[in-house]
Amino acid sequence: MASTACFMIVSRTDIPIYEAELGSALKKEDAAQQHQFILHASLDIVQDLAWTTSAMFLKAIDRFNDLVVSVYVTAGHTRFMLLHDSRNEDGVKCFFQEVHELYIKILLNPLYLPGSRIASSHFDTKVRALARKYL
Amino acid sequence: MADPANTTLGKMLMEHITPVVMVLPTPLVEQSCQKNGLTFVDLLSPFSAFDNIDVPVRTANDQPYRIKKFNLRLFHASDIRRPDLETAKAWMNKVVTEAGEKESYRNDDILPIPESESLPSWFEIFNQELIQVSSFSDHETFDHPVACLLVVSSNDEMPINKFVDFFNTDKLPSLLNDGAMDPKILKHYIILHDNQDGPPEKASKILSEMKNTFGSNECQLLCINSSQGGSVESPVNSWSSCKLNKEHFLNTDNIDQIKVLMQDLTTKHIIPHMEQKIRALNQQVSATRKGFRNQIKNLWWRKGKEDTPDTPDGPAYTFSSIESQIRVLGDYAFMLRDYDLALSNYRLISMDYKLDKSWKRYAGVQEMMALAYFMTDQARKEAEFCMESAFTTYLKLGLRGQQNAIRCGLWWAAMLKARDQFKEAANVYFRVSGEEPLQSAVMLEQASYCYLFSVPQMLRKYGFHLILSGDSYRKCDQMKHAIRTYKTALSVFRGTSWGLIRDHIHFQLGKWFAILGTFDVAIEHMLEILACTHQSKTAQELFLGDFLELVQKTGKTFEVCRLRLPVVKLPSLRVVFEDHRTYASPAAVGVRESIWKSLEEDMIPSSTTAKSNWLELHTKLVPKKCKQSNICVAGEAIKIDIGFTNPLQIPILISNVSLICKYFISSDEMESDNIGSSTNLQNDEQLRELIAGSDVNADKDPYTLSEVEFSLNGGETLLVQLTVTPKVEGMLKVVGVRWKLSGSVVGFQIFESDKVKKKNANKRKPKQSSGNELTFAVIKSLPRLEGSIRSLPKKSYLGELHRLVLELKNHSKVPVKNLKVRISHPRFLALGTREALSLEFPACLRMDNNEKCGHAVQSDETASLFEFPEDFIIQGEEPVLWPVWFRAAIPGMMSLYITVYYEMGDVSSIMRYRTLRMCHFFEVLPSLDVSFQVSRCPSSLKEFLVHMDLVNKTSSQSFEIHQLSCLGDQWDITMLQPVNIPSPIMAGQALSCFFKLRNDRKATVRGDEVISQCDNRGNHVRLGAQVDNEDLFDIATSPVADFHRHEVLHEEKAEQRYAETVDFILLSHPHNMSTESVDHSLLFSHHACLCSVASNGPLCWMMDGPRMIHHNFDTSFCEINLRISIHNSLDAAVSVRIHPNDSGPSTSQPSNSSGVSSENRVGWHDVSLAGEAKITSDTLQNTRHVQQMPGESVSPFIWCGSSSTRIKVAPLSTAEVPIQICVFAPGTYDISNYQLHWESMHPEGDIDADSKQSSGIFPGHSFYLTVLQSAT
Repeated sequence: MASTACFMIVSRTDIPIYEAELGSALKKEDAAQQHQFILHASLDIVQDLAWTTSAMFLKAIDRFNDLVVSVYVTAGHTRFMLLHDSRNEDGVKCFFQEVHELYIKILLNPLYLPGSRIASSHFDTKVRALARKYL
Repeated sequence: MADPANTTLGKMLMEHITPVVMVLPTPLVEQSCQKNGLTFVDLLSPFSAFDNIDVPVRTANDQPYRIKKFNLRLFHASDIRRPDLETAKAWMNKVVTEAGEKESYRNDDILPIPESESLPSWFEIFNQELIQVSSFSDHETFDHPVACLLVVSSNDEMPINKFVDFFNTDKLPSLLNDGAMDPKILKHYIILHDNQDGPPEKASKILSEMKNTFGSNECQLLCINSSQGGSVESPVNSWSSCKLNKEHFLNTDNIDQIKVLMQDLTTKHIIPHMEQKIRALNQQVSATRKGFRNQIKNLWWRKGKEDTPDTPDGPAYTFSSIESQIRVLGDYAFMLRDYDLALSNYRLISMDYKLDKSWKRYAGVQEMMALAYFMTDQARKEAEFCMESAFTTYLKLGLRGQQNAIRCGLWWAAMLKARDQFKEAANVYFRVSGEEPLQSAVMLEQASYCYLFSVPQMLRKYGFHLILSGDSYRKCDQMKHAIRTYKTALSVFRGTSWGLIRDHIHFQLGKWFAILGTFDVAIEHMLEILACTHQSKTAQELFLGDFLELVQKTGKTFEVCRLRLPVVKLPSLRVVFEDHRTYASPAAVGVRESIWKSLEEDMIPSSTTAKSNWLELHTKLVPKKCKQSNICVAGEAIKIDIGFTNPLQIPILISNVSLICKYFISSDEMESDNIGSSTNLQNDEQLRELIAGSDVNADKDPYTLSEVEFSLNGGETLLVQLTVTPKVEGMLKVVGVRWKLSGSVVGFQIFESDKVKKKNANKRKPKQSSGNELTFAVIKSLPRLEGSIRSLPKKSYLGELHRLVLELKNHSKVPVKNLKVRISHPRFLALGTREALSLEFPACLRMDNNEKCGHAVQSDETASLFEFPEDFIIQGEEPVLWPVWFRAAIPGMMSLYITVYYEMGDVSSIMRYRTLRMCHFFEVLPSLDVSFQVSRCPSSLKEFLVHMDLVNKTSSQSFEIHQLSCLGDQWDITMLQPVNIPSPIMAGQALSCFFKLRNDRKATVRGDEVISQCDNRGNHVRLGAQVDNEDLFDIATSPVADFHRHEVLHEEKAEQRYAETVDFILLSHPHNMSTESVDHSLLFSHHACLCSVASNGPLCWMMDGPRMIHHNFDTSFCEINLRISIHNSLDAAVSVRIHPNDSGPSTSQPSNSSGVSSENRVGWHDVSLAGEAKITSDTLQNTRHVQQMPGESVSPFIWCGSSSTRIKVAPLSTAEVPIQICVFAPGTYDISNYQLHWESMHPEGDIDADSKQSSGIFPGHSFYLTVLQSAT
């Protein structure tokens, strides 16, 4: 598992709808806030890149010092963004694909309004389990 | 792309990579120059840049070209060395600080989009300085002096010797001394004459001497200070950058002379010298390095050197080494703008340096290659690649390469910017930002601007890098810059939903503004993040703590409009006020208005009459406008419920919570205020006024406010009730709510309802009225009744009977009268008579007790309305008590609503009546479940069997049954047989009892007469342990009878009405398990109403006659007279026809038997006689076989008389019909082959006729008649 990882789901309107600090490293107080900054800034790059490819997985698109941002864009233009320091691209890809499945299940819930915050604790535990498995 | 030379980088290179002229003046020269406040270098510098020099240049190529612009860089010999890093840093710091002071951080929220021109100018200065720091390095030669100016004053003694001495001293820069560059440089000799020291004859003499010694071309005379003081205007511009004295002695001639000197130096000496050198070097290089042979040789030679020790800088190259010469050749070519030549030489040398592992030189050459590529505007990829490799190579060198790396990065970034590759440029800037905070801050800020200029704009990156830069500024204490960057970043992040980002920015800004002492702005920022639900608990604590500390520092209480801590739940706002409706308890307030409305419907004066009296009065007193607003009474509190939510995880303390109100004497005033408040500013001012005003709450205020204090735990929501009590008549408007957080910050929230009203005022009327719910018209104080029912049990068992007390209080001096009460559930509660208050209960119910509770109060039975006597007036402090009977009628959770209507004794008041609404909730537990079944005794029409089923449904309580009574005087009940009823009946126990009920009396005695003849004890049965009829309760007295009536009413509504019914009341006492005794103080009554006695249908009849007859058949057949008595239990007359059926009894028998036997019924009923009949026939076989076989059609007897008889039976009466049969032989006969056809004769227009069964056919009952042959 990566020592630092921050996973976020950003809605098509650029609002974060899910966030999770996944790293095994000890949490620093301002780390979460810095991660948000990095991911938020990489949205600029995603915005350009997303239209240049038909693949959903955009691979590592941005970096900050030794942290890499990998992005996966769903058909509905919801962006899964992962900030990580591991170099395991295959793992990241698998992680994204599985999270995408989970996300679709959330979308299928008639009580979930697309673009609203994902508060499901089940989703959260599943994502964390996937992170342990793949990252 | 534009001409590379015109780009920023091009201009920068044109200035920076130019020939250096070393100046060596004597102290006396400097002294003369100082008269003007200048050094000698300063004096010449403005004239070292030429815009239109137009010199033909011929380098290695034979084709000459012209140079228009040219620059020289003049340095004092002592300045030609590596600049001091520390001083440079200090200077940069100063530049930045000054810029920070100048920069006024904009407080406006507009997103500033600076164009490239509007980039802060100090970026440029800063970058220049960073580049300067790395100059005069030994690994690159463009900083090495090309020429040398030797200046001697005419006052110097032995000037010629001085010129020679310059090169003998160790004043020369290290570059020359340690062999990095060729010491044989171009020399130019100048004799400086100060005209103030005398005429220039002496100088001319020296000049001619010099010319003899050094050659005529290299020597020149320069005269300065010709002017006799006073200022000459024209040249001032030239030195504007320098610190020129106001008083200077330079005249136009001097300046022209300097100009000519510099131009000559450039065109006639330096450029030709460089050309010459280039050509010489080029030849040499071609000879040694060009061509295939030389290359192979070179490679082999370098291979051979591989074992040399690997010094960090690679091998040291002297000026005479071929490598240095190639580099010099390249640099000279670059300076003379022969970029192709320069490039070819750089390429050549870079390979060598690489092989020699001389990394710094390699990087330097790579850098120059990139620049050369850039200036020729070709091979962009190559240029970038070269820059990249140069930059990384410098970085690899660590500290030694650091400054060069920075310079290289800056050039790189400038190059990318020139080509509009802003994104890449930003990346480079980001890489340049090193450890040093100030430098990294400036670099990051430049990077952020690059993102801003890139196409498409990358605002998020812009914001992020601004934040990073701000953090760096903060690290080097450039607070103002930090704030500026954060503020700018805020324009990007404003309104973002990325919570952590927003919180971070506001928190930092708040902290920094606090450090700078601008607390108001700091607090503004802190307020933004107070209600941060997404943050961790520690972060919330930090934010709140810092905020409170900040507020304390300011030393005053702050009033904050948007304090979101706690959150005021505006939808939860509920206003409770009392106009003519008053409430006894908060619970009553929560009851739906419609319930009260239905209760009060016909109690309060109807609206038509109301309009004619009190509303008319009302319109006179209160202007029209107020009709829309609510009415409240002076002295009575208006209660407002507001929900406060703590969004944080940490507890917060809220104090001084109170309402903000506004008082107007008249409604006109309020209206004018409404118009005024439409402009926001004024509204705000008024608010301040209001908030300030509410602090001084003196007695003369027209209202008083309540203050509440509470603390909210994390995430808690609390509903708080606030009150305002108006004291004076007028208009009162509740504007908002204010509170104090942690004792220091005052927050307030305005209720927006009037805004809503304004918006909708033109559209719909109902909205308008709803918006007005916070405006009250205050009217003169009125009496207000308070009331409650004392000690109403919260939990009771079904059937429990209590006497309670209704307490009414009127604090006002004005009496109230005409009291009326209505109860929502009259089955539960009934008002007694005043005397009942003093009686002992339940003993007063005893039959042998002389004091009676009196009969039920005569009032409208169905309306459940109770009117107090006319003389019942409540006034003054003394509470008035009134007895109330309570009986738990049905199990379950019950809510009981009581409305008391009263009228003012004072007619002049605006309101004539008010109502008091009371509400009680209680639970009724099931206790004894009693059910009765009555069936008619077949042998007698007047007798019935009563089957009582008792189940104790409680969990622990046991009961003792006291008595069973049936209501109505015509009934007489006795136990079927004396059985000991077990006592007590334990929890869960079931019991069945049988009673015999007789209908003895005449049916004509009915109604109220029955109740009066209550001395008859026949309708009571004393049950329980001691069976004597001594302590029976009288069920016809007040509470029991009252409740029974309501039960009956209830039953009537629920069930189909049978005319002939009987009501039972079972009285019981609870049995106390612990003391093993019966609690006689408590009485339970269970009512079973309208138990139908006509269980078998509307008719019952009986055949009456002899059962056994002796007759001599020898003489004649036997005529037998029988009677059928028919009882009609319907409430309508019935016409009955008895229809003898000769076809035999069997036709109807089977259906009858099957119909009955399917039910397992208790009591008397018809049982199938098929089996029994057979037995009968068997026993009688020896005498005569007369049993009719089924299917046999011939009847052994015949009906005599009329074949069918029709009679009319009056309702609830009995009629007798005589019938006659003839028997022809002895035997046993079943006389059942007849049918009763009945048809009810409803009175005309009876609507219910359809719903009930109106006609039918009954088969005959069996009646066995035995006829024997008489002995004769």
